[in-house]
Amino acid sequence: MPKEDGIEDAKGGLLDETVQYHVQLKKGDISDFVILPGDPGRVEFIAEHFDKAELVAENREYKTMTGEYKGRPVTVTSTGIGCPSAAIALEELANVGASTFVRCGTSGGMQEYTRVGEKVIATGAVRYEGTSIQYMPIEFPAVASHDMVLALKNSAIKNNLDHHLGIVQSKDSFYGQHNPEKMPIADELRQKWDAWVKGGVLCSEMEAATIFVVGSYRKVRTGAVLLVAGDQARGESLTKEEYKENMSESVKMILDSSLEIEVEI
Amino acid sequence: MFDKLEQVKHLPISFGDIARYVIVPGDPNRVPIISELLDDVQHQGQNREFNAARGKYKDVDVSVVSTGIGCPSTAIAVEELSHIGAEVFIRIGTSGSVDGSAQKGDIFIATAAVRDDGTSKQYIPIEFPALADIEVVDSLIKASEALNVPTKVGVCQSKDSFFGEVEPERMPVSEYLDMKWKAWQRGGVGASEMEAATLFTLSSIFGLHSGGIFAVETHDKETIHKITKIVLESIYYMEKGAINA
Repeated sequence: MPKEDGIEDAKGGLLDETVQYHVQLKKGDISDFVILPGDPGRVEFIAEHFDKAELVAENREYKTMTGEYKGRPVTVTSTGIGCPSAAIALEELANVGASTFVRCGTSGGMQEYTRVGEKVIATGAVRYEGTSIQYMPIEFPAVASHDMVLALKNSAIKNNLDHHLGIVQSKDSFYGQHNPEKMPIADELRQKWDAWVKGGVLCSEMEAATIFVVGSYRKVRTGAVLLVAGDQARGESLTKEEYKENMSESVKMILDSSLEIEVEI
Repeated sequence: MFDKLEQVKHLPISFGDIARYVIVPGDPNRVPIISELLDDVQHQGQNREFNAARGKYKDVDVSVVSTGIGCPSTAIAVEELSHIGAEVFIRIGTSGSVDGSAQKGDIFIATAAVRDDGTSKQYIPIEFPALADIEVVDSLIKASEALNVPTKVGVCQSKDSFFGEVEPERMPVSEYLDMKWKAWQRGGVGASEMEAATLFTLSSIFGLHSGGIFAVETHDKETIHKITKIVLESIYYMEKGAINA
């Protein structure tokens, strides 16, 4: 039941009319479909793939541009690094009308067969982070939305992109992954890393688990596309040019998937 | 992933006796009920809670093997079934409702499971998500749509203690149980059952494929047959090429 002057969002909740504290956005500033990079410096690059776009807000690590792709309204908002700032972004964006969130990020490859330049479509995430457990007990699965995963997969096939479908790992400590031997909890870090590798986890990143868990709680649609930008075991990484080219492919995959997702607002 | 074994310790069947697709109910008495919808059924025997049958659906070879109640015996069934050649597991079960999105009489397809079980933790740390296979879920959804059977799709909870769910107030850890149950309700968990978390986790880490479909608070034969039809049709879709193991 809508309150006076309130309008209902896609899931029957009430949209917030006020400017959100951190992202500095209000109802009407964004579309229902939001692409979430970590890096505010990547927002403009992603928006260059829209047919039109304008800057609507910028505060702290949260930079937002809204526009259109093939007639479909789309928004891009950076989350900053890590699950704490990603949770804030998702909550405040959902308050002002976002109902689909697709992370567009980079990651480190973890398997023999995940090579730099390939895209990983996450079906779920390992919750090796502290934010999502302040929402839901650890036993709850960090799972991407089924229809979003399928839309991304269809888009990857249509665009002829090398991709993998599977579980990713979300961590809080970047250097705990890169230099585990320096950490006081080196044994735990190594032991768990080995378990994820044996369990078939495809790549390591820093935001997906919280986006999926908070998304389940907020009853919004979530997904993630992670570009494998580095490979610790092989010592490989992408050049700046390769990175741009591959990130561009990730963005296209996400934008084309948005055409399969109904506008709900 | 595994060395194939001629004999396994607990199952009544061995290598060569199993189809690639296995329907896994909890209850051994449900094996003959599910098998009624197969052609050329062979009842292969029962050892402990593991009852096995095998038959055909539209010429696709299908096995039905019960797991018994709970994740410990489910893990044994999944390990041994995969040792003797099974690759795709679809659980047919009954469940309770949690957040109200699925209610008595509904049919629920699980995309993932809350790991409120002890068994899956002896395989991989708790942070790892228990996910159903995306192609199995997709085939189940498509099959139910084709058969015009409405379903609910979402996350289920797998618990070890049945009475901890239905009579939490008499448990020494009642407050802990209540607190978690409220979180599952608020977080969007649709159904509660006792095997999916271990089935999904083990399948995922061993490169197998699994899914689950549940009758919510319903146990009658008619509903089990309705669910079985969805599962058999989904197996037919997968066999026709959707799944590439």
